[in-house]
Amino acid sequence: MKPKPEVVVLACTQAVPQPSALRQALQEVGLSGHIIQEPCSSKVEAFHLLRILAKGADLVWVVGCPEQYCQLAEGSTRMGFRVAHAQSYLAELGLETARLGFSRVAAGNPEGLAAVAAEIQQRRKDLPPNPARPRPAA
Amino acid sequence: MPKKYHIPVRQVPPRFKAVGKGTVLDWGEGCLRCTRCVKETCPYEAFRNRTFDDRSLTDTIDSLCKNCFRCVQGCPRELITKAMNPEYNLLGDSYWTKEIITTTWYQAETGRIPVSGAGYGGPFKGPGFDSIWTDMSEIVRPTRDGIHGREYISTTVDLGRKPLFLAFNAAGELTMPVFPLVEIPLPVLLTEPDIGVNKSKVRLIMAQAAQILETFAIIPREGLTSALLPLAQHLMPQYSPGSLNLDDPVLGSVRIIELWDHANITADIDRLKGRWPNLLVSIALPATGQATERCEALAGAGAEILHLKADNHAQGFAEARDKHLKDLIREVHLRLVKAVLRDAVTLVASGGIAMAEHVAKAILCGVDCVAVDLPILLALECRLCSHCQEGDDCPVDLGGIHERRGSQRLVNLMGAWNNQLLEVLGAMGLREVRRLRGEVGRAMFAEDLEREIFAPLFKAPPGSETLERDPN
Repeated sequence: MKPKPEVVVLACTQAVPQPSALRQALQEVGLSGHIIQEPCSSKVEAFHLLRILAKGADLVWVVGCPEQYCQLAEGSTRMGFRVAHAQSYLAELGLETARLGFSRVAAGNPEGLAAVAAEIQQRRKDLPPNPARPRPAA
Repeated sequence: MPKKYHIPVRQVPPRFKAVGKGTVLDWGEGCLRCTRCVKETCPYEAFRNRTFDDRSLTDTIDSLCKNCFRCVQGCPRELITKAMNPEYNLLGDSYWTKEIITTTWYQAETGRIPVSGAGYGGPFKGPGFDSIWTDMSEIVRPTRDGIHGREYISTTVDLGRKPLFLAFNAAGELTMPVFPLVEIPLPVLLTEPDIGVNKSKVRLIMAQAAQILETFAIIPREGLTSALLPLAQHLMPQYSPGSLNLDDPVLGSVRIIELWDHANITADIDRLKGRWPNLLVSIALPATGQATERCEALAGAGAEILHLKADNHAQGFAEARDKHLKDLIREVHLRLVKAVLRDAVTLVASGGIAMAEHVAKAILCGVDCVAVDLPILLALECRLCSHCQEGDDCPVDLGGIHERRGSQRLVNLMGAWNNQLLEVLGAMGLREVRRLRGEVGRAMFAEDLEREIFAPLFKAPPGSETLERDPN
């Protein structure tokens, strides 16, 4: 089996209709992230984010639409609130809040995806390994 | 009273959560804190039982939700919404649709006929098998009589060559050799799919399922390992051209073998029959433009079983690539009927047999039985993602399934298919599947109907070469 991905991206299908484009943008900055498509970024709840971190991912990123373009009107706004809410849990646990992040990008915008990938890569570089990651057997 | 054929189905839950059709968007912000929340009254307890799937890193509510929309309609602040699951939308392709994949998973899990319960909202007709409408005029008292009606419906078919006449001497003794013949109680053979990982495990599962179903699993000879030999009575080893060795010990323990068609195949079969006279031989041939002539020639030369293979989308190969399997079957069947050879030979078709109705429709077009391939993988939870073909990991760890579990899921699928076949036969008023072969009188073909109805409307009036538009 593959090693566990270090970066998990939860992408709104409206903002990223083709996950392969985001995968390619991530590969170009040297990351092999696991992309999970969501019908709306507001589908992502705090417990999803925390459970993915508990499985050992170093960084979890949510990609949603720009707020004014959200098809569910408030979905993207709620996503921002939820990531912030989950970050407050991380702060309470004494973990880096930077392990969670989000971006908003409009569909059909390769430069936007490249910028998202660069932002993810920069954030990943600054983070130490996730203490929850299972250590390889010696 | 003869023993009734019974397929022992048993619930086998999937190892991986099935991809749900819809997904719940739950906007917890703004909740009124009702004392009786719609999440508590979910009839399927989806909100109570939801967890987090560690392997797919997703919420399990998508698999638990049955899309009844009770929560969506009931929440006073309308905080719960349903949306299509993008992962579901990506399943399958134009032929192996997401509906086929998910209903196959359901049948493999439960062994039951998939019932949508909300009417049929699909198109009136479609391409391929969907252009055939079967006669359902004999449905009478289904609730009282059950699936078999008043009489037992037989799904048994024969594999092998049948004599067109018998010859006796003056003493009344048979003066001609008797051909070997094998009966299978289900008109379905299992054939190895051309994709998938850990083929040795898949072969073992196919062989075990074939034993339970009393049918045969077609497996390449090189894949027939010692672990499969105890099940040899239900195996059909397949030999590529030139690989047949008469000293092969496997030939002594199997009942049927399959040979790929080649120029000297009749000589090969004669040699084989000289050494193993009771061994049945099936000839596999691709459904190309020459398949019809080739089938007639082979049947005339004494072939016992002809196996016509189409591609995974039920299309022919080479010059016949635009032809659907149903048309290719009809061509071969009618050619054999014309040559007075149809009753002598067994005709099998495979490729693109995706649903239970395809079995009935393929038989209706003229085959004796079908061979299934990709549904075997679907029964083992395959998602047809084709990652294995790209050298990537299988997302459902196909090789990791326990063989007993896998074979039971395959048996469940065939149990559900068999029940659907019985339903169709009962509705047509047929008491055995052998009577369905080539019985196009009990079906309507959309192409034929359109031609009959619309062609006269657009026919040019007598005396004019073409239709002329009235300038006014």
